[in-house]
Amino acid sequence: MSVSEVTLDQLARNQNAVVRRIGGDREFRRRLLAMGLVPGEQVILTAVAPLGDPIEVTVKGYRLSLRKEEARLVVVERA
Amino acid sequence: MTAVTLASPGAAVRYAPPIETELERLVAALGAIPALAERYPLRWLAVQLLEGDEHLLAEAEGLGGPAVTAALAASRERLAPHYGEDLDVALVDQRYRFVHTLARQALTRPAAPPLTLSDRIDRVVTHRWLGIPIFLALMWVVFKLTTDVAAPFVDWVDATLSGPVSGWATALLGAAGLGGSWLESLLVDGVIAGVGGVLVFVPVLLALYFALALLEDSGYMARAAFVMDRLMHALGLHGKSFLPMVVGFGCSVPAIYATRTLDSRRDRILTGLLVPFMSCSARLPVYVLIAAIFFPAQAGLVIFGLYLTGIVVAIVIGMLLRRTLFRNQPPAPFVLELPPYRLPTPRGVWRQMWERTAAFLRKATTIILATSIVVWLLLALPVRGGGRFADTPVEQSAFAALSGAVAPVFAPLGFGGWETSGALLTGFVAKEVVVSTLGQTYAVAELEEAAEAAPTNFGEDLLGIAGGLVSATGDALQVLPGVIGITLETPEEETALEGLAAAVRAGFEASSGGHGALAALAFLVFVLLYTPCMTAVAAARHEFGSRWMWVSIVGQFVVAWLAALLVFQGGRLLGW
Repeated sequence: MSVSEVTLDQLARNQNAVVRRIGGDREFRRRLLAMGLVPGEQVILTAVAPLGDPIEVTVKGYRLSLRKEEARLVVVERA
Repeated sequence: MTAVTLASPGAAVRYAPPIETELERLVAALGAIPALAERYPLRWLAVQLLEGDEHLLAEAEGLGGPAVTAALAASRERLAPHYGEDLDVALVDQRYRFVHTLARQALTRPAAPPLTLSDRIDRVVTHRWLGIPIFLALMWVVFKLTTDVAAPFVDWVDATLSGPVSGWATALLGAAGLGGSWLESLLVDGVIAGVGGVLVFVPVLLALYFALALLEDSGYMARAAFVMDRLMHALGLHGKSFLPMVVGFGCSVPAIYATRTLDSRRDRILTGLLVPFMSCSARLPVYVLIAAIFFPAQAGLVIFGLYLTGIVVAIVIGMLLRRTLFRNQPPAPFVLELPPYRLPTPRGVWRQMWERTAAFLRKATTIILATSIVVWLLLALPVRGGGRFADTPVEQSAFAALSGAVAPVFAPLGFGGWETSGALLTGFVAKEVVVSTLGQTYAVAELEEAAEAAPTNFGEDLLGIAGGLVSATGDALQVLPGVIGITLETPEEETALEGLAAAVRAGFEASSGGHGALAALAFLVFVLLYTPCMTAVAAARHEFGSRWMWVSIVGQFVVAWLAALLVFQGGRLLGW
């Protein structure tokens, strides 16, 4: 992991990043890919739920919510 | 907007040449197996298999055997130099590129997306401090809509059927020379009472589905899952599980069907097993009756406590299930779109209200009508004494004999009388029948007298029904400010049921050895937790299969029995 690479859950609110890799098992990866979290795609962390989890990201112009434990499997590069 | 003309609809998405070559090879290989060619569109199947859909691969291998495995492995190997481990990424990426190309031809988007109304609503609704209070307030409104606002209409339906409609039936039969016959008894006490048992649900369900349609169509339901997922996840459930749970406070049947919104089977079954612990609205009349008799000063508190007990038991049982039956199944990921807010249309809302309520009527009418008639028949059949058919004291009927046979099961819980065990028996078929059965077992005579009172003519009856609807609407409107103003009203005391109250009180005192109030509390806890009604059981079987249906039936009976035992015997140890 290079210096500017972090996992999706580590982004600050309103921070931009680009998706690099998606870990986890095959089914999970397929699911996120289908939802548009494709390597090379821009993401912004737009909101955090009141209890601190899950988080909401904007990708491909729509809002997607996922748990932090799942966001940890998505490697992004800070813009 | 410009229309995009596609060269050929069949060849819409084209992947990169190496992938296309392998797709063609796979289609040829898969097409050679008739079982697969008949069942799947082959190109679609080839794409899914290359992408790594494990469920579909298992199915295809089951139908096509090792030929599928070999063809897929060969294609993967030839693609490995191009894409390595990222073949799935490449496929999805190329699909999205195709979509993007189409969208660019058809849509113009502003460079920086503007802050929409939807975003502004989200800032408030998912706000760090406001999010949960707003969520709880909305759930409270849903709850009040299905209880207090629907209640006047429920009373109106009930009064119409037990008053004028029963009166008309009696008058018609009297004119035909059948007054006082067993046919009159069957029609009034069996059929009309049974239809009433179903119809009183209509206002409740309409109110519930109205609220749900607004929440779902507006887009708030996804936010509710977003706001609540942390808490529900801690309980081993999913943010979306909250919706069936809330629906469960109205009725377990739609709640069990509402588990379909969950993605994983594990979450659906786990949620479906816990839903019946949410106290459904059909159980409320039982609480209101018993609480008004034994705890008139704290009726509201007792009822609220029961709802809370159901939630706590669901949490405990959920944890137990997660560590036992679901030990090897991890929770599903939470990957959920938060759609833009939309204004629900009256048509869409009404259609959901009506379709869902009508589905309930179709499913429930037969069962409840049949039970009412069976119960009537059991009550009409004399097994002791000198009564005739349809004219026998209830304690000498077949129903009393059957109830008496199962009553010892409930003796350790403080309510081993045949009257209560009979009510619990019919409660398996539909919870709302518990109250009417109590009415029949304890006080059949009084209720019959009430039905025959005050002769009126047809016109007066119709005016009375219309007037009743108007005043019910008035009552419902009066309740509305209370819905927003969060006030917990204590239920009104049932003055018409004084005779029943005395009989119930005496019955509980006798069966519990003088600890009537404690036995009543144990009875309420039992009614809260025990086996859901037959319709809910049928829904569980439909959704999860027979095995889980039995887990639900037996499991909940045991849980309820233990909890009621704890209340009654524990209470006695504490010297109540």
